Amino acid sequence: MKRPVRLEAGQKLVLTANRLLDGRTVWWSAEGTWVPHIGHALLLDAEEAQVQLAHATEQAQHDGVVGVYDTAVQDSVPPEPVTVREKIRAHGPTVHPEFAVETAQ
Amino acid sequence: MSVPVGHYQYDRIDRDFLQARIAEFEGQVKRRLDGTLSEDEFKPLRLMNGLYLQLHAYMLRVAIPYGILDSRQLRKLGQIARRYDRDYGHFTTRQNIQFNWIRLEDTPDILRELAEVDMHAIQTSGNCIRNVTADEYAGAAADELVDPRVHAEILRQWSTLHPEFTFLPRKFKIAISGSPNDRVAARFHDIGILARPGEDGAPVFRIFVGGGLGRTPVIGEELFDSVREEHLLATLEAILRVYNAHGRRDNIYKARIKILVQAIGVEAYREAVEAELGQMDLEQYRLTPEAVEAIRARFAVPLLEAPDDADAVLTQQRRDDPLFDRWVRSNTHVHRDPGHIIATISLKPAGGIPGDATSAQIERLADLADAYSFGEIRITHLQNVVLGHVRKDRLRDLWLGLSEVGLAEANIGLIGDIVACPGLDYCALANARSIPIAQKLGARFADTALQAEIGALRINISGCINACGHHHAGHIGLLGVDKRGEEFFQLTVGGRAENGAAIGTILGAALPEDETVDAIARVVDCYLGRRESGETFLDTLTRLGHEPFREAAYEAV
Amino acid sequence: MKLFELGERTAQVHNVLVTVAELADRDDVRAVLLESADDPALLRPYLNRLDLVVLRFPIFRDGRGFTQARELREYLRFSGEIRAEGHILPDQAAFLRRCGVDSVVLPKNGNGDPGLWEKQLRQFPMAYQRSVLPERGIGPGLRVEEAP
Repeated sequence: MKRPVRLEAGQKLVLTANRLLDGRTVWWSAEGTWVPHIGHALLLDAEEAQVQLAHATEQAQHDGVVGVYDTAVQDSVPPEPVTVREKIRAHGPTVHPEFAVETAQ
Repeated sequence: MSVPVGHYQYDRIDRDFLQARIAEFEGQVKRRLDGTLSEDEFKPLRLMNGLYLQLHAYMLRVAIPYGILDSRQLRKLGQIARRYDRDYGHFTTRQNIQFNWIRLEDTPDILRELAEVDMHAIQTSGNCIRNVTADEYAGAAADELVDPRVHAEILRQWSTLHPEFTFLPRKFKIAISGSPNDRVAARFHDIGILARPGEDGAPVFRIFVGGGLGRTPVIGEELFDSVREEHLLATLEAILRVYNAHGRRDNIYKARIKILVQAIGVEAYREAVEAELGQMDLEQYRLTPEAVEAIRARFAVPLLEAPDDADAVLTQQRRDDPLFDRWVRSNTHVHRDPGHIIATISLKPAGGIPGDATSAQIERLADLADAYSFGEIRITHLQNVVLGHVRKDRLRDLWLGLSEVGLAEANIGLIGDIVACPGLDYCALANARSIPIAQKLGARFADTALQAEIGALRINISGCINACGHHHAGHIGLLGVDKRGEEFFQLTVGGRAENGAAIGTILGAALPEDETVDAIARVVDCYLGRRESGETFLDTLTRLGHEPFREAAYEAV
Repeated sequence: MKLFELGERTAQVHNVLVTVAELADRDDVRAVLLESADDPALLRPYLNRLDLVVLRFPIFRDGRGFTQARELREYLRFSGEIRAEGHILPDQAAFLRRCGVDSVVLPKNGNGDPGLWEKQLRQFPMAYQRSVLPERGIGPGLRVEEAP
């Protein structure tokens, strides 16, 4: 069911998932670990993302995460997801600012 | 403890059953963590224990069978919100409560805490028979013919871990009412049941099948007009058996019973059910009067005593206090006892999140239920709370108590009483956020005098086609859609879930989020400008057709 | 192939297992494989000579096998062995048994641990609805427990 990724100019891909134990949104970092802040996410080109995605999916059980996929972000510091859905996953529900996830660097 | 008013009293056997269920789930979690169970295998098992994986965390949906709780149970929900969640809970359109910030590893402990007060999360999700819903005024309303809760409890028990119907093609929702005024949206359920008294004193049941909202909204069709009580379970078994054997399993969007009923026609479905009944050993499935009475005996009945002048006291208080009077007008319903009244507490403060309640509010509601309504609380499918048996001369005190915790909003059945699903702020299935648009609409129509002037007008908002916000059934319905990552809303008008159930008509192309509230305001203005004396929004819509409203909605676009 | 018995009946081993369509031409066959889309009523002419009906679960979420088993027991009065095979979970053990299934082909992965199946059979001491098993009521309500 993998859609072909079409990145626009200035966009990259990041890998994301939810942690199995607490369900928290996590992002694939340069250290090869899953981290809760999108600011630490590893930015990937389309081809790199394919490789990393296959690897991360295979390792999901070992790494304690569920539902690994990639999503497009603006190549900025910190990276900002393109879709509303992923923005909300990255930052928390818009209706509860007190629960916002910090975009730590 | 004493027998609770309004719901079934558990005994040791029921409690042992819950403990066994928790132990089972704990084992499943362990197998998931060690990898013996894959996520694909674990997911249906956790869903049947109410546990979803959403955008930010797990979500636990706790069952409130037929929407009724006692104060002890409600306090426990408040404690769980405080201890395991973020200090609030969300009441749903199926009379349940869900917590949005749950950890998988905490869930067995939460289920154990729930079991302490005879609660659980069994079959609040999954492709099985879901928590059965019932009339929120059951056992209290003056217009009721049969109190549906005893039979709702029978259905709850019968459907719990049913060996044959736990892996259905898709979810299966049953609602039951005993009033001629449909308050359960009977014709928008997989099975809708309307009870009425039979000639021998036992109730008979009119059964609708194949209704539903979601991707393909369908109004349920009558399968049987008069099913006798003794054959109620046999009939439901037969309906489910036909569905389990023949419902589609190749396409999740065509797997509900409504698609099967539509495909073969209700006559053919009835024939198939009758063929099953013809082969079944009906004695084996017979619901005996003894069984019904045994379950009825576990329900306590409130002792309704009120002073003779209770009604006069209320009348005087309403005269003295216009604000109170406005709340009474919108938020109460006639009780079968002349000294009592049914109070609906709005969980729709202007600009607030529909159906959300904080731990403090939840606990306060439990106190008020103890003080004013025999410790009994009902959750409505419109995401509000009902105290069913309030003495008329004490209603104002209740209202004052509600005011202290911001729960005295006078908007039941009015435009501020918005129904909304959690939407994209939480839900993994959603395409758009439902809550912010509900908040903006609530703020736009915050003035309760204006709301009273507009009159009966129900807005329902769903963040995706699965229609948890029942947008097809809203007088004005909003469906959130995703257009290249941006939120848009499709408007429908003319839906209704009450008697004369209808599916709303789509007005036109979906509007950008920031234009939607204005468009709805113009639709409301159109109604106010063109209504004739005494007409509700639906009346005017019926008289004029939807064209003027379409023009109003798209005027500025 | 490892078999697990859900009840008292001893599981039988059959070398020849045919489809419903093949039954008509094979007088010698005593065991048939029912796919989840097959109508159990098709077995009616052959029930007297069948010792074993195997229900294949393509995936554990496909619950048609439960209805098939009940139909075999309740409508067709089949008294031979019913077995489930394919993608099934130990979590389904009691459901299978209560619908009339006698044995399962244990999955070859972690779900095939007989200890898990054994445990699940004893997980719930009672049920809220009758099944095809011999049961007695617990008091006058709906609750039943298995008759000894």
